[in-house]
This record gives sequence, structure tokens and C-alpha cells, in this order.
Amino acid sequence: MKWSFRRTLLIAFNTFREAVRMKLFLVILILALGAFASSFLFKEFNFGSSELKFIADFGFGGMTLFGSVLAIIVSAQLFIGEIEHRTALTVLAKPLFRSEYLLGKFFGSWLMVACFVGMLSLCLAIAIWVRETSILQANPEAFQGAEPIEILQVIAFGIIQILRLGMLCALVALFSSYASSTVFAMSMGFLVWVASQLQYIATDAWSGGSHWLLKILFAFASLALPNFHLFEVGDRIALGETLSAVVYLKLATYALLYTAFYLSISIVTFNRREF
Amino acid sequence: MAELIKIDNVTKDFPLPIRGKKLRAVDKLSLAIESNTVYGLLGPNGSGKSTTIKLLLGLLKPTEGRCLINGESVADPSIRKNIGYLPEAPYYYRFLSGTELLVYFARLQGIQKRDAKALAGNLLERVGLEDAGGNRLGTYSKGMLQRIGLAQALIGEPDLLILDEPLAGVDPIGAAEIGALIRDLKAQGKTILLCSHLLSQVEALCDKVAIMQSGKLLAEGSLDQLLVSDEDKSLLIKNLDTESRERIVKTAISMGGQVSVNRISLETLFQRLVARNKRSNSVSRANEEGENE
Ligand SMILES: Nc1ncnc2c1ncn2[C@@H]1O[C@H](COP(=O)(O)OP(=O)(O)OP(=O)(O)O)[C@@H](O)[C@H]1O
Ligand SMILES: [Mg+2]
Repeated sequence: MKWSFRRTLLIAFNTFREAVRMKLFLVILILALGAFASSFLFKEFNFGSSELKFIADFGFGGMTLFGSVLAIIVSAQLFIGEIEHRTALTVLAKPLFRSEYLLGKFFGSWLMVACFVGMLSLCLAIAIWVRETSILQANPEAFQGAEPIEILQVIAFGIIQILRLGMLCALVALFSSYASSTVFAMSMGFLVWVASQLQYIATDAWSGGSHWLLKILFAFASLALPNFHLFEVGDRIALGETLSAVVYLKLATYALLYTAFYLSISIVTFNRREF
Repeated sequence: MAELIKIDNVTKDFPLPIRGKKLRAVDKLSLAIESNTVYGLLGPNGSGKSTTIKLLLGLLKPTEGRCLINGESVADPSIRKNIGYLPEAPYYYRFLSGTELLVYFARLQGIQKRDAKALAGNLLERVGLEDAGGNRLGTYSKGMLQRIGLAQALIGEPDLLILDEPLAGVDPIGAAEIGALIRDLKAQGKTILLCSHLLSQVEALCDKVAIMQSGKLLAEGSLDQLLVSDEDKSLLIKNLDTESRERIVKTAISMGGQVSVNRISLETLFQRLVARNKRSNSVSRANEEGENE
């Protein structure tokens, strides 16, 4: 029997279908869109670049926040939830490799998260474009001294966030590959998310001089966890800066390498797991 | 007949939360199951039946010993192309319909989409769920889940079916239908390994049984061998009219013999064995405690 990408895809699409029917993302999408729409209600801004910056900041922040929450909940629920309910027993007794199952679960959850972030980026891009044109129509001088926000950059930001959330999904898959409860996998997911957000502190501590033991600890923390801080390029985009393709490529490579690393470890632990 | 399943001196320990302590779920179990038999694995709750089955499917790894199917190690997933498995108390994706579940599993086993749909309809009919195929699994009753689980195990016409309590939660009519299905499968040359607590059904279905307790094998063999009452050497007398029968009974009694029904039921055997094993366990435990004092 050969390792089959077809089976992986089948599992991924089934996972995705389940996630869609769970309507979990719908709740978060409504929440996010609500938050997003409410930003339009703040009308005490001067017309001009500051309003756009506010929308962009708000949108990017919401995308990162809600995307992360969704990534953690969806991947834990769809993977370990299935093991908890013993549905996985039937599936794993089929002629397939456990790695196919694990990757299928990962791709399915990631696809879900990608759709969510994709929809949000699209809404954000449209909102910014609408405001930008209407502001310019009302006052062609509005952007003097400030750069308008580039729509393409908004989309690129979305793609980069999808890749960042891929790392998070892979991390949750890693915990799910040995954890025995959804709650544990989710809590670990949230913990690691926060830790990755603060990872740069550990890196600073590692390079700065301190006790050797702490140095090893910080070295470990800064290598084992990705630095999510790197992906916070939203501020720069909101200020109208155009980030070069090289920046995006570097971020994408970084994210994909970490994702592959976590998935490899998950496959090893999952292969050893007993049911 | 060829040996299809071989369980070779298998032991399975589970770690307990207390450090260093272990729970022995299967204890030096050896079994050989020939192809085209209906084999019943019996035992009280917690005797290691499901654990044995999971070991056979590679879902658990034995602490010692090995399991072979068709002479090959169960660690290789391609072995499972030819196995259908119904887990105990099955639970499936609540958000899928019965048909969708079967189509999904069929496609996982390499069946094309169109064929998978036809197969799903076919299987639903075979397990008596033809009217429920479009309903979400979340709304299925316990017996319906059991039936859809059975349907799922039949995908790909596997030669070996491993059914963990196929009759649990199924109503008597359903149980009879499933019994007929199992006999039908045997007639097609398939091998069926099943666990059950419903001994009268097992007795009617199985060619061979193994009785386990605390992970150990208490008895194994064909029903004919096992159910001959070993305690009093008795005879089965058939095809006599009432008069001759009475004469024989009288003669037997006059000669000091006892007259009773020849074959004990599986139920009796089961209870006898389990009770005897419990007694001997408690005796040996008492002895140990005596020695410790
Ligand atoms: N994953 C596990 N971890 C720890 N102990 C386990 C595990 N699975 C089973 N056991 C233990 O192994 C023993 C045998 O369990 P098993 O499920 O095989 O029993 P069974 O014969 O199928 O019982 P039943 O008739 O109730 O289904 C039990 O004592 C059970 O607690
Ligand atoms: Mg059991």
C-alpha cells in the first residue's frame, strides 16, 4: 500500500465539511464582521487618512485575533474531538496511514481558517477601497502628506496571516497527537499562542547576557516557538507603507518551515499513539 | 482450513495513574482462528475482549507477543483492506447523513464516487436503514448507529469482519436480522470474529467460542466440544416414540442412572466457568494473604 495524497484530501474535505456544518466559524464571522462594522460607527474622526488607518488597524487586529481563536478551537475540536468520541477508531481501522489522517485533519482545519481569514481580508479590502474613493471624491487633497493604503497589501496581509495560522493549527495538531482531551489541546493551543506572541522577549533574553541555564531555556523557547511578532506588519501597511515581495516571501518561508517541523513531530507521536 | 488470525502469547498492559502500577488487560493470550468460521469472544465486562480486538487492528500495540492476520503483522495498514471493523458503541460524525458517511468511508477505501453512492444505498438496505439514509447521524438511535456501523464494516466486501458487540442496543427483530446477515456472510466464505454478551444468540451463531476473564483464556473450542456436559457422562437419545422412551428412562433409573437433557446451554457453561474462575482466584488470593500473615 502506498502513501496516498488522495486519502489525505478526502479526510481534509470531510473535516472541512464537518467544520462548516458545525457553524462554529459562522459565529466568529458574525462577531468579527460586527466588530468591523462598528468601526464605521465612530464618526468623530476627521475625514482623511486617520479614518482609513483606524479601519485598517481594526480589521487587521480582528483578523489576527479571531483567526487565532478559530484556528485553535477548530483544529482541537475536529481532531482530538474525533478521538474523544471514538469516531477515530473506525477511521484508523481503515486501510490508511495514520500520517494521512493527521495531515488530513490539519489541512481540513487550516482550510477552514483560511476561508475565514480570506473572507475577512476581502471585506476589509472592499471597505478600505470604498472609503478611500469616497474620501478622495469629497476632498482630493485628503491624503496630502500621507500615503493611501494599498489594497494589494491588505490581501497580502491576509495571505501572510493564513500562513501564520497554519503554524498555530500545526501546533494544536501536535498537542492533539498525544493529548487525551479537547480541553487540554485547546488550553495548550492558547498558551502557545500567547507564548509565540511574546516569543521575541525570549529571543532578546537569549542574546542578552544572563545565567547560562536561563540562556539555554530561552534559546529553547525561542527556537521551539515561532515568533508571531514578525507577522505583525499590519501597522506598517496601515501607514501606507508598501512592503516588498521579499518581506512576504521571507515570512512565508518562515511559516512553512515551522509548520512542516511541527507536523513532522506530530506524525511521529501520532504513529506511536494507542487508542 | 487455513489459519486466518493468530494471536501468539499476547500480553497487554495499560499504565495506571499510580506510578509503576499496571493494569493487565490481556494476559498471555493465544488464539488461532480459522477462516470461514464464526468465532465468538465471550467474557464478563472488562475481561479484555475489546482490547484483544484493538490489538488485532493495530490500534493498540501488544506489550508482549504478536498478532498475525494471514501470516502478516497487523502493524501494516494494507492488512486492513480485508478487514471490516465495528467498534463497540460506535459514534460517527453527527453532522453527516447515513449515506454521506458510507460514501466517505467507501471513497477512503478507494471506491469511485459514483460507485460509492450506489454501494451506500445497497448497504443501507442490507442493514434495514433504507429510510434513514438521508437523516443526520446525530439524530440516530443507539440501534441505528449500530446498524450503520455494521454497514460501514461491510464496505469493500472484506473477508474478515471484526464486530465488537454487534447486537448491543439492537431490538430482538433487528438482532435476528443481523444474525441472519452474519450467517449469510459465513455462507459467502467470510470469517467473523464477534464479541457479545447475548449468549443465546452467540450459541445460535458461532461455530467456535473463546471465554475470557481478566485477560486470560478460560476455555476455547467448538460449541460441540465445549457444551457436552462434562460432569455427568450423558447420552442423547433421539427418534423414539413416547412409550419406548419411558421404558428406557425407567430402565435407566432402575439401574441407578439419572435422566436429564444432554446439552447444557452456553449460558450455563459461561456462568459455570466464570464462577469457578472467580472462586479459584479468591481461594488463591486468600492463600496469598494467609502466607503474608
Ligand atoms: N486505553 C485504556 N487505558 C487503560 N485501561 C484500559 C484501556 N482500555 C481498556 N482498559 C482496561 O482494560 C480492561 C479490559 O477492557 P476491555 O475494554 O478490553 O473489556 P471488555 O472485555 O471489552 O469489556 P466489555 O464487555 O465491558 O466491553 C478493563 O479493565 C479496562 O479498564
Ligand atoms: Mg468491550
